[in-house]
Amino acid sequence: MKNLIIIILVLFSGITNAQIKTVNIQASGLTCSMCSNSIFKALKTLDFVEKVDPNIKTSSFEISFKPDANVDFDKLKAKVEDAGFFVANFTVNYHFDGLAITNDKHVTVGKTVFHFLNVEDAVLTGDKKIRFLNKGFLSAKEFKKNSSLTKMPCYKTGEEEGTRIFHVTI
Amino acid sequence: MQRLILLLVVFSCKAATAQELFVFTEPASNMAAKSFGFRLNNYLMKETDTKGTNYHLIPEIMWGVSKRVMVHAEAFLSNRNKSFVAEGGLLYAKYRFYSIDEVHSHFRMAAFGRYSFNNSDVHQQAIDLNGHNSGYEGGLVTTKLKGKVAVSASASYLNAMDNGKEKFVYGDKNRQAVNYTLSVGKLMLPKEYTGYRQTNVNLMLEMLGQTNLGSGNSFLDIAPSVQFIFLSRMRIDAAYRIPLVKDLSRTAPGGYFVRLEYNIFNAY
Repeated sequence: MKNLIIIILVLFSGITNAQIKTVNIQASGLTCSMCSNSIFKALKTLDFVEKVDPNIKTSSFEISFKPDANVDFDKLKAKVEDAGFFVANFTVNYHFDGLAITNDKHVTVGKTVFHFLNVEDAVLTGDKKIRFLNKGFLSAKEFKKNSSLTKMPCYKTGEEEGTRIFHVTI
Repeated sequence: MQRLILLLVVFSCKAATAQELFVFTEPASNMAAKSFGFRLNNYLMKETDTKGTNYHLIPEIMWGVSKRVMVHAEAFLSNRNKSFVAEGGLLYAKYRFYSIDEVHSHFRMAAFGRYSFNNSDVHQQAIDLNGHNSGYEGGLVTTKLKGKVAVSASASYLNAMDNGKEKFVYGDKNRQAVNYTLSVGKLMLPKEYTGYRQTNVNLMLEMLGQTNLGSGNSFLDIAPSVQFIFLSRMRIDAAYRIPLVKDLSRTAPGGYFVRLEYNIFNAY
């Protein structure tokens, strides 16, 4: 019985030790409100999105999600690109319940594999903003600059043996 | 690091106000995928010899096919030959093949093409696929958005065909031309963005030229314009086109232009 409880806890620890609160996307390549409106409307069409709060001045969008929805980061990025623009900054506001992270190592959170870069080894608790460093989630210039943070081949491809890897920093 | 980026954005916001939604030319930017736009283009051009006015009404439908490709279709109606009649149509396509974006700035390049058919009589040496000549055109456009300024430049090659039964009467050597344009735009209002319902006011200045590859004659026009954007999806453009260089003949080169435009994002 004790072994069964431990197994269940281990299985669930990956799912419950981090929850997405909101995602903030800053788009690049635009200034005007009609351009911002096209991104705003595109993001709202995603079925897992509850609400989008736009800031036209900063070309940013604060996105909140439906309860228990599966948030697809790649689909959010694709909506910005379909509107004719690119992502300059992609930051996820997570709530952590004791997630142990090591610099330049993969860690699985639920169904998502993260590769933390440029961080100190730590146990994450409470609200933290996690910035995505994958290609297309920041400017091409920054992506190139950050390539010195790791030697692992998954940085360039964003995947390892068919599994999507998200490169992130705090 | 995030706070630094936010500070930089806030500081650059004061200067970062510009527009590339030009009146007489298309920028290298693309429409949003799965969006539609509808335009009513109205040309009131002064005839140089008779002092009368030509009215051309060109309704236009625009379709954002994907993030890189858009197509337009236009119909030509005018009263140039006394009664108001339909004279033809045009298909336009643009492919954005290069884009480097930063916050509040971009550099983009696109290739575009036009195919036009027109049944009116050929009455001027200048080639105009937008309401006067049948023919085709292919070219490149580049647009730079940064700080207070958006600048766009384009160059294209045109070939005039016969207008159906109406022949191109200026000789086969004069069927080919190059177009070149330079456009500058600036967002004047609002001074500060607070929401999508604010009216945007843009001022633009465009230089539009053509050189005939047979005769070597050219025209060069300047066109100042003002643009209003309502509710972040409707547009009204008002422009005045002034011919500066007139070696390449046109019957009504100068005049007024008014456009009404409505956009539907995420139409399907």
